[in-house]
Amino acid sequence: MLSLALGTMITITSNHWVTAWAGLEINTLAIIPLISKSHHPRAIEAATKYFLTQATASALMLFSSMTNAWSSGQWDITQLTNPPSCLLLTAAIAIKLGLTPFHFWFPEVLQGSSLTTALLLSTAMKFPPTTILLLTSHSLNPTLLSTMAIMSIALGGWMGLNQTQTRKILAFSSISHLGWMTIIITYNPKLTLLTFYLYSLMTTSIFLSMNSTNTLKLSTLMTSWTKAPMLNTTLMLTLLSLAGLPPLTGFLPKWLIIQELTKQEMTTTATIISMLSLLGLFFYLRLTYCSTITLPPNSSNKMKQWSIKKPVNTLTPTL
Amino acid sequence: MSLIHLSFYSAFTLSSLGLAFHRTHLISALLCLESIILSIYIGLSLWPVQNQATSFTLLPVLILAFSACEAGTGLAILVASTRTHGSDHLHNLNLLQC
Repeated sequence: MLSLALGTMITITSNHWVTAWAGLEINTLAIIPLISKSHHPRAIEAATKYFLTQATASALMLFSSMTNAWSSGQWDITQLTNPPSCLLLTAAIAIKLGLTPFHFWFPEVLQGSSLTTALLLSTAMKFPPTTILLLTSHSLNPTLLSTMAIMSIALGGWMGLNQTQTRKILAFSSISHLGWMTIIITYNPKLTLLTFYLYSLMTTSIFLSMNSTNTLKLSTLMTSWTKAPMLNTTLMLTLLSLAGLPPLTGFLPKWLIIQELTKQEMTTTATIISMLSLLGLFFYLRLTYCSTITLPPNSSNKMKQWSIKKPVNTLTPTL
Repeated sequence: MSLIHLSFYSAFTLSSLGLAFHRTHLISALLCLESIILSIYIGLSLWPVQNQATSFTLLPVLILAFSACEAGTGLAILVASTRTHGSDHLHNLNLLQC
């Protein structure tokens, strides 16, 4: 856990490619035992898939920085001049973050790990590659990034529609939020950071609520109102905030991104991504419906199962 | 000079193709990963030779240290998957389908 913080700090504060790569490697190595802690076959399989994809992406990133160094003579992160290495770097960061078309590992890895590890995987592990993307965003190909972002939002919405496992649903929501973050990165990187912070705050509160009621499936979510009713209502609000409904905080990044895109004369893109986020709205609404609005078919009296350490997420939806 | 560049670029490309198209065993994927790192190491060790800048000779050693850690982790994962799944065949890794 400490080495995760160390690795993240190393990558964020680096201006040489090798230190950035070293921080990413430290992060990968540190989270593998966290994923595979439970010795369940699914956890080991998730750890294998995670390790292979992340190691490939790190090696690809190092190779792109090396070709850039051979062609331009310096190792600075902000000066990436060689076009093939920009392309390879975009591919490497897309693999690391889980953008389409490299998203296939993400739902399975999230499914195989425990809820707190999944939280770390979706929020903290996305932070260093996002930082590198921010540092190099002026030299990357905007068309490629926008295409990957639109496909991510589309795929995150579509593939999340048939899921009943909550971790997979959150994985697909993560993929589509990454799409929203990537689409604006070449025009206004501050909006990317804002989206990332708000997304990680909301996802943290959802994961922690799910962790305290231990809901891994949609059917468990239906009976979670008996365990902690207050938590359930705030879970509903947070889910709707993640979907991006207007009075809640989650609407803010979407609004600003659409505004920025229309300023840059990309109105068709803005329309397309707003339409595609309706798909995500469907499964968020389904989660909300199952958790708060309906009662389960069998009768269940008020069960007090275990003492819950209440996280501070009762305030985050009202942020 | 560009012949040497061609050698490690092609080594990298071949290794990454091997990693992408591995079919039966997990260990072949780990081997290709190691050869990717090795080609990067060779490319990086030529840097101080070419530029006569001896302060960059630490870089390949650092990369080697990190990649050794990573190889160790890969092997540990291989052992763990052999313990839980029975072999390292890749079509056994299908517990987490949608």
